[in-house]
Amino acid sequence: MLIYDEYHLPTSLEEALALWADAPEGSRLVSGATDILPWARDGRAGDVHLPALIDVTRIGELRGQKFEKGRVRLGANTVYQDFLTNDTLRRALPCMPHCAIWFADDQIRQQASLAGNLVNASPVADGTPPVVALNGEIELARLEDGEIRRRCVPVVDFIEGPGRTRIQPGEIATAVILDAANGYGGAFQKVGQRRSLVISVACCAALVKTDSSGRVFEDVRLALGGVGPGPMRLSAIESAMRGERVSRALIRRVAAGAGDMVASRSRKEYRREVVVNFVRAALEEALANQPDIEVKFQDAGETVDA
Amino acid sequence: MPKMKLEMEVNNRKVVKETDTHKRLIDFLREDLNLTGTKEGCGAGECGTCSVFVDGKLVKSCLMPAAKANGAKIETIEGLAKPGELTPVQKAFHKTGASQCGYCIPGMVMAATACLRENPKAGIEEIKERLGGNICRCTGYTKIFEAVEIARSVVAGEAPAGVLDEDEPLGESYIGHNVRRLDAPSKVTGRLKYAADMKLPDMLQMQVLRSPHAHARIVSIDTSEAEAMDGVACVITADDVPGKDGFGVFVHDQPIMARGKVRHVGEAVAAVAAEDLVTARRALSKIKVEYEVLPGLFDAEEALKPGAPVIHDYAPGNVVKHIPVRKGDVEKGFAEADLILEDDFSTQQVEHAYLEPEAGVAYVDADDVVTVISPSQNITHHRHMLADIIAKPINKVRFIMSPVGGGFGGKEDMIYQGMLALAAMKTHRPVQLNFTREESLIASAKRHPSRVHYRMGLKRDGRITAVEFSMLSDGGAYGMSSEGVMRKAAILSCGPYEIENLKVDTRAVYTNNTPSGAFRTFGGMQAQFATESMMDMAAEALDLDPFEIRRINMMKIGSLTHTQQALKTASLDRVLDAAEKASRWEKGAPKVRGATRQDLDGPDTRKSCTLGARIAAEVSGAEKGQRSGASEKTKDSERVA
Repeated sequence: MLIYDEYHLPTSLEEALALWADAPEGSRLVSGATDILPWARDGRAGDVHLPALIDVTRIGELRGQKFEKGRVRLGANTVYQDFLTNDTLRRALPCMPHCAIWFADDQIRQQASLAGNLVNASPVADGTPPVVALNGEIELARLEDGEIRRRCVPVVDFIEGPGRTRIQPGEIATAVILDAANGYGGAFQKVGQRRSLVISVACCAALVKTDSSGRVFEDVRLALGGVGPGPMRLSAIESAMRGERVSRALIRRVAAGAGDMVASRSRKEYRREVVVNFVRAALEEALANQPDIEVKFQDAGETVDA
Repeated sequence: MPKMKLEMEVNNRKVVKETDTHKRLIDFLREDLNLTGTKEGCGAGECGTCSVFVDGKLVKSCLMPAAKANGAKIETIEGLAKPGELTPVQKAFHKTGASQCGYCIPGMVMAATACLRENPKAGIEEIKERLGGNICRCTGYTKIFEAVEIARSVVAGEAPAGVLDEDEPLGESYIGHNVRRLDAPSKVTGRLKYAADMKLPDMLQMQVLRSPHAHARIVSIDTSEAEAMDGVACVITADDVPGKDGFGVFVHDQPIMARGKVRHVGEAVAAVAAEDLVTARRALSKIKVEYEVLPGLFDAEEALKPGAPVIHDYAPGNVVKHIPVRKGDVEKGFAEADLILEDDFSTQQVEHAYLEPEAGVAYVDADDVVTVISPSQNITHHRHMLADIIAKPINKVRFIMSPVGGGFGGKEDMIYQGMLALAAMKTHRPVQLNFTREESLIASAKRHPSRVHYRMGLKRDGRITAVEFSMLSDGGAYGMSSEGVMRKAAILSCGPYEIENLKVDTRAVYTNNTPSGAFRTFGGMQAQFATESMMDMAAEALDLDPFEIRRINMMKIGSLTHTQQALKTASLDRVLDAAEKASRWEKGAPKVRGATRQDLDGPDTRKSCTLGARIAAEVSGAEKGQRSGASEKTKDSERVA
């Protein structure tokens, strides 16, 4: 059971930062609050008594999304459902709708924010691999001598391990900034025990762009979650694929190599097998999801082994 | 407790209330506004019984601080239709019989309503996806999906509203006719009151201190600090039991609260009744229990070994019950066999996971009648047992069965009603106890984990000559329904097959695991898993069709059952014929099938799960748009929110 003595709903970032800077020890920031309430239950944290919760969802400047120099700036109050319902976001961030549709359920997606998911830094957070694939940065704001100071940290560095990030006392996550990947094909793979409300055992995000003939990989982005303490970008595989002919053999080969990246302590063999299949499926689906371009496999017609 | 003033528009009415700052939206709706149609099934956002609209978006109210909804417009199940009326979705749930226990139904109706508000033309795959956050344990979802599809057709104008009405009766008979459930309107509107929805004036809230140990002697319990707390009305332990303590469906081996020792993790040790839930929970942390940990017993086979820890003094060999069944002469039967198959089968512990966690209210009325209201599946037996436990004549004990939000056997055991009665007697105030989901998981009985050692003798033509069936079940810490489950497992052991020579033994033993109890099929499932697997393996070994080997051995009119009852009716022949036809079975021994089989994925088979129905639909739509020239280029500064 979660008990708190105060609940603040600041409406400006300045107000929120001031509250957060002065908040008594143990106070927490909340966005969707969909993680903190289940956390304070028997079997996890048990009954928890906090001095205050500071809710960031009424802060106007954390709402909305903006395009800036080939990047998309998602206000920290962007929730998972936005990646399904907002057409402009769906086109610019093609792996996000596929991630969102697997994330919790329609109801939780209305509340749960991407920024909150990143700050919680669960090793199996669904949001991390697609954000890492999109060269995501998290913007953090703090008050310094009464002024709002901001800094950006690449998400791949921001998440240090399970529940551990580089966020500093007094800082509030204000935005997630991602590459605008219009024209890319996106995919997301996840394995769990059912289709809704399931925590990933492992997950994988892919973005793919071919030349206009659909024959050559111009760009490939791959990231894994749930296979180590933090998110993992498969940069070596990506650069090995850029400029190569699109072929099933190539996809099979790089997928087999991805299995070696698994660094989890538990169920390692299982995760290894999953990752090999995920990378292959993610690349194939991302190719199929690429808008306007029909992909031509070099080895089309060859039978694909199971 | 710090307070906060909340202002909302709830079901089109303005509400201004001061309430505890920490309340969740579900608590505010249920406790402060008495809108109990919104249920709590898990408190962790997993089940969807608490779904409500907040500013037009469906959310899980157990995951939302009430303060977060300050100023918002809330719509609950009670606000969907005017009193006396039903929405098309509610009518469709009534029509198809989508409500069974009804506990998930308000949330399901809300999710279905949200689905059709988002997309009035949603296809079945999208409906399934949008209802993915809501769990039902009774229906298997089929009737629910059918209801949403009917409602969709009406909402989308594809079908006349008349399809929501009850079917015209077929003559005078109800047989073969869809009859609407009488209790459905109360469930689809959220008006039916389950035990946790009930409120009595001056009612206390109970919380239970549970054992962290599987097996330990209780050296001492000090409740003084808890009792001295403001707001605590009483603390009870086994010492408060005035009569002969002990309950159970067969053997009365379970005390109301642990007496002298604890036998499983989660066993009740003490309980607090206080003015409110928070005080009761805080008081639990003030109770000091000193334990002396004892060696634990966690495996059924270990329980039978000499020198194993003894769980109950009355049963030094740890056996709850042994049911032997003998028929014919197994030695002779095996001697006649051309083939003897031998194998082992094991099944795991299973939780019922009804959507309604255990809940109850007790009070002592003006005539000193101790009254317990709870979703008990066995109130008459509970009444008799409680009378002995509290040393009252039977006419001074009353049990009222509240609507059961799913039971499946899991609510047969009197695991909390006694505590409620004791607290009501000690305080003369009504007392309520609502389990959390975690508490329900840890304290309620489970399906027996079982191991079966099987030996089957067969003639080359497929006829079974003998069976030796030996089942060992983990009964857990208390007897509960174990005896009956073992009896049923023994009676059904060798399946619906006539076997002349059999030797059946079923045993349940005590361990320090969570107690096993009643669960749908009551022991039959574990036995049939073994028997039917053996039948398939026998078919494979003898090169016979699996249906054929079953027909060769099936019980017919005049057959003697395993317990030697002569059957006057038998229907297995017709069951097998129907199953063979419906499954489009391809004849042949199991080993001739495999990769070439053609009977899968027929027109009426359920398709495997997919995700992204709405993405797929919109992607194909978007592609058309792009091909017709719509530009993808977005202005750099475009603000899209």
